[in-house]
Amino acid sequence: MKAFTASVQEVFREAAARWTLIAYFALSSLFILIFALAVNLDIVDGALAGAKLFGQAVEIGDHAVDIDKIVLGFESGFSGFLYLVGTFLALFATAHLVPRLQEKGTIDLYLSRPVGRLPLLLSRYTGGLLLAAANLVYLIGTMWTIVVWKTHVLHPRFLLAGLVILFTIAALLAFAFLVGVVTSSTGVSLMATYAVFFFAAVLSQHNRIAAAVSSELSARIVHGLYWILPKTAELGQATVALVAGGAAPAPIANIDHLAVYGSTAVFAVASLSVASWLFSRKDF
Amino acid sequence: MANLPIEAQGVRKVYRSRFGGRNVNALDGIDLRVEPGEVFGLLGPNGAGKTTTVKILLGLTRPTSGSVRLFGMPVSDPESRRRVGYLPEGHRFPGYLTARQTLMIFGKMSGVDGATLSRRAPQLLERVRLSDWADVRVKKFSKGMTQRLGLASALIHDPDVLLLDEPTDGVDPVGRREIRDLLQEEAARGKAILLNSHLLSEIERMCGRVAVLRSGRVVAEGSIESLTASGSRYRLVASGVDERLMAAFRETGASIERINGHFDLTARDVDHLNALVDRLRSGGAKLQELSPARSSLEDVFVGLVTDVEGAPAAPPKENVS
Repeated sequence: MKAFTASVQEVFREAAARWTLIAYFALSSLFILIFALAVNLDIVDGALAGAKLFGQAVEIGDHAVDIDKIVLGFESGFSGFLYLVGTFLALFATAHLVPRLQEKGTIDLYLSRPVGRLPLLLSRYTGGLLLAAANLVYLIGTMWTIVVWKTHVLHPRFLLAGLVILFTIAALLAFAFLVGVVTSSTGVSLMATYAVFFFAAVLSQHNRIAAAVSSELSARIVHGLYWILPKTAELGQATVALVAGGAAPAPIANIDHLAVYGSTAVFAVASLSVASWLFSRKDF
Repeated sequence: MANLPIEAQGVRKVYRSRFGGRNVNALDGIDLRVEPGEVFGLLGPNGAGKTTTVKILLGLTRPTSGSVRLFGMPVSDPESRRRVGYLPEGHRFPGYLTARQTLMIFGKMSGVDGATLSRRAPQLLERVRLSDWADVRVKKFSKGMTQRLGLASALIHDPDVLLLDEPTDGVDPVGRREIRDLLQEEAARGKAILLNSHLLSEIERMCGRVAVLRSGRVVAEGSIESLTASGSRYRLVASGVDERLMAAFRETGASIERINGHFDLTARDVDHLNALVDRLRSGGAKLQELSPARSSLEDVFVGLVTDVEGAPAAPPKENVS
C-alpha cells in the first residue's frame, strides 16, 4: 500500500513539476474567468429582469422570466460544453503517464522495487483519475459557485455533471493506457484516444449509417463497433440529462442509460485489463 | 541449506523477431550462484548478455526457460526484490525531484516507513558525498553525482543483494575509489554484490569471483586468481644469475628467459621449482622475489571473448521455427 500511495503521489508531483498541473488548472481558470465576466444578470423578485452576455443586452421580452428555469437551462447546456472541455483537458494532462513510465532508464527504477506490475500500472491510473477529478471539482465547483453568487439559485444537480465526465475520462484513459503500453508514445496515445472519442460519437448514428451502407456485413460491423466503443455522444447527452433532471428534452432524456453506461464500462474494464496483461508480460 | 542470494540455473532467453526475421539467443543456458558477502563480477563484450542477465534477475525480463531465484524466491514474485538494491545503467531519476525526495519516494516504494527514511536518507547522502546537494533538483546533477545518487537509492532500504550495472560510469577517479570502498564495506557486512562492468580494472580490484559471458554463454568462471594464473610459470627476481646457471636450469627441463630485469621461469611442478631454487642458491645467486606469473584480467578477457579471427563474437541466431 505504501508503494501504491507513493506512486499516486508521484503522479501529482510530476504533474506539478512539469507544469501540467498548472496548465491544467490555468486553462480551467480561464474558462471560469470568461464565464464570470461574460454573464451579467439583473434579478428582481426572483425573476430575470435583464441580462447581458459579453456586454451585450439579451432580449428577454416584456414579461419577467423565471430565473430558476433560466439557471437550469443554462447549467444543463453548459454541462455539455464542460463534458467536452473536461474530457479533452484531462486526457491531455494524463496520457503521458504510461509512456513516460516505460522510458528506458525509468521503468527499471520502478520495477526493481518490490512492487507488482499491476499495482504499479493501476497506481498511475488512479493518480491520473484523481488529477482529473481534482480539476473537475475545481472547474464545476467554481462555475456552480459563480452561478449561485450571481443568481442566488441553488441547483446542486449541476455538480452531478462531474460524475459523468469523470466516468467518461476513466473509460478513455483506460484506452489511452492500453495504447501507451503498446506503443510507449504519448502522441499516439492521445491521437488514438481522441480518434476513438470522435469515431464513437459518429457511431451514435449507427442505425442511419448501417442503413446507408451497401452490404449486410458492413452494417453488422457498424453496429458491432458501436457496441464495442464507448458511447461518447450519449454520455454527453447523459450529462445534460442528469443536470436537467425532468426538464431535459425528450431525445436526451430518453437515452438508454443502462446500455450507455454499461457498454462504456465494459470498454473501460476490457481496455484496462488488456493493458495490465500486456504490461505484466512485457520485457523491459 | 540456506537459500542463496542469487541462484540461476539453465537460464535461456530468446528474443523472438516479430516479422519473420531470425530469433536471437541472448542467453543460452547460464548458471550463476552468488554467496552472501561475495562480490561477483559479470564480464563480457557488448551484446554478450550481461544486462539481460541482470534484468532477468530483477524480473524486468522473463527468461524463456530456466530457474532464477533470489533468496529462494522466484523472481516472478515482486517480494523477491524486497531485499534487492539495483543500480541500472543509464538510469533516469525524475529531474524534478531533489536528491532527498528521490530517496524518500524510492524508499517508500521499497516498503520503508517514513521515520526510517527520514533517518537513512541524510546518512546515505552523506555516505555518497551528496549532503550539500540534498535539496537540489536532480536535473542539475552531473553524471557522476547522478550515479552516486543511484547508488544511494539502491541502498536506501538496506538490501542484502546489490545488482550494480556500471556503478562507476561517469565518476571521477576519487569518486570511483569511494564507491569501491563503499561496496567493499557492504560486502564486509555480508551483502552479496553482483557487479556488471566494462572496467576490468574495477572488476579486478573489487571482485572475488567473476563469470565471463560470450554470446549468451558463461565461457569462464572462477576467482580472479584462478583465471589469471598461468599454470607453472613464475616470475623470478634474483641477482647473480648468469648464462651458466640458466643453462643448468634448462638441463633439468625448466625454461628460463630474462625479461626486463626479471626472469620468466617455467617449472614442471612445485618439487621441480624447489630444486631450481636450491640450485640457484648453491650457484651463488641471491633470490629476491619468486611469485606465480599472472596474465592480466584484460589479456584473459580478450582471449575469451574474441574468436579465432580476433573479432568479437556475434550473438548466436536461430531460424524462426
